[in-house]
Amino acid sequence: MVKLFIESLKLSIKNEIEYKASFIMNSISQFFVFFTYYFTIVALFNKFNNIKGFNVYEILLCFSIIQFGFAFNETFFRGIDRFEDLVIDGSLDRFLVRPRGILFQTMCQKMHLIKIFRLLQAIIILVIALIKLNISWSITKVIVLLLMLISSTLIFFGIFVLTASYCFITVQGLEVKNLFTDGGKHMAQYPISIYKKGIVFVFTFIIPYAFINYYPLLFFIGRTNNILYMLSPLMVFVFLIPCLLSFKIGLKHYTGAGS
Amino acid sequence: MSYITVDGISKTFKVAKRNSGLRAALKSFFNKEYTYIDAVKNVSFTIEKGEIVGYIGPNGAGKSTTIKMLCGILLPTAGNIKVNNMNPFTDRKKYVSNIGVVFGQRSQLAWDIPAEDTFDLLRDIYNIEENEYQKTKEELINLLDLKDVIKKPVRSLSLGQRMRCEIVASLLHNPKILFLDEPTIGLDAKSKKIVRDFILKINKEKKVTIMLTTHDMTDIDKLAKRIILIGKGQILYDGSLSDLKQKYGSYKKITLITKDTIKDIKVKGLISKKKIDGGYSFIIDSNVLTISKFINNLSTKYSIIDIDVDNENIDDVVLKLYQDYEI
Repeated sequence: MVKLFIESLKLSIKNEIEYKASFIMNSISQFFVFFTYYFTIVALFNKFNNIKGFNVYEILLCFSIIQFGFAFNETFFRGIDRFEDLVIDGSLDRFLVRPRGILFQTMCQKMHLIKIFRLLQAIIILVIALIKLNISWSITKVIVLLLMLISSTLIFFGIFVLTASYCFITVQGLEVKNLFTDGGKHMAQYPISIYKKGIVFVFTFIIPYAFINYYPLLFFIGRTNNILYMLSPLMVFVFLIPCLLSFKIGLKHYTGAGS
Repeated sequence: MSYITVDGISKTFKVAKRNSGLRAALKSFFNKEYTYIDAVKNVSFTIEKGEIVGYIGPNGAGKSTTIKMLCGILLPTAGNIKVNNMNPFTDRKKYVSNIGVVFGQRSQLAWDIPAEDTFDLLRDIYNIEENEYQKTKEELINLLDLKDVIKKPVRSLSLGQRMRCEIVASLLHNPKILFLDEPTIGLDAKSKKIVRDFILKINKEKKVTIMLTTHDMTDIDKLAKRIILIGKGQILYDGSLSDLKQKYGSYKKITLITKDTIKDIKVKGLISKKKIDGGYSFIIDSNVLTISKFINNLSTKYSIIDIDVDNENIDDVVLKLYQDYEI
């Protein structure tokens, strides 16, 4: 499986550099556009010293973890994000006659490698935040950081799969999706405690963003020693179950796309 | 037990009903009405190992839907499919490593890169052992005359070259069954011939069981000993091509050039009469009405400039079948 993924990766690279000029221009613009996100945060903190007790580097840490997860999905799992295309043009038929999992093939089929610059940025910001925060490092701190990064990646994966399942009901991609991915992403970039109760509820129990970057963040920056806070990113696996299940059910109702 | 057993399968699609116009569009937005369309109704047949079967029928008859169910892409609404003791849909992963599928209207090759790169990817998808892969690839490329072609980006290939690459892609894993959905669509005569010769060859040498759909009757004539005709989702004829030809083979097509107007003729054995440019075209059943009698009959009443007698070709036979069954 790993071999196939790497082989697909190579193919994607070949595909993208086929048009050289466009590749270079896109890379440059991708790299710089997303820095503006971070500039706004820094600008904000020039006015206020903290937001509900979080300083600028804590916010940037929170921010970069969500960005990391999202950019990772956009880079490597782009195909799932654009699943409706496969249903519309019938490529899904092709996947179904190959002896591999559908989601895995979807991942391999389309990667948006240009987004790797966004991923790179998230990592750069993450590292800056970590250096400035004076973390008293320990093995549990390393584990919680890794858990946050992994669960952040998985939560967006889950959302992508969930919305992909919806394509089996109506071929049009769901705009509601953006409420949870783009909208959710923007909200979750900040510690969840700064929001009103209703929003906290949605992003805790419906889409568990709070479990991946708020509770573990509290543990990571030393506000609590409760081990549950550290392990809370594991909740993402509970979230993944209905996502994957709905995809499986959707596949059963697939009706193809003409001859 | 046959190799492929299809037992009473049906497939019903739910389609949203929508009239034209903004009002209707708004109405359907709030209260969608659905109609149910039976794409395939109670279809049964069996195919033995090593057979080539031509699956024919007009557009929208249910050919592609049947093929998709046989490939495990669609789940039948009712009925059962067993291929080599496997259920295509539920045993999908195991099943599809034994089949090859060519969708003539849909490419599986990556557009911007050479076909060979897609082949390499398929090697990993199917987990083909390197030596075996190289051997199969060489063999297929030689047979289909693709030596230089596979190094060029797919977007720069001609349709015929691309189709041949598609066929290679579908056979790299040495499947036991090959489904070809319109493999010669849009190809020129030379490419068609290469593809046909190739299909015959792999059937003979590798004992690959082949099911093909096509609108090209020459394909059927050259390739399939047995045909299954489907119309409006139901099987109308399942049998040998020669039987079909014999049944309709006594039919002759007579083209008559005349300036006269020929009125309706009532004579036993005349199947059809059609006005054409500069004359008429008749189809008669020569078992009932001999050609000489028919021409004699006409020449006494009308002045005939030219006459041409022709055997019906397979195209007309099929058209007539369609007519007989009113599809």
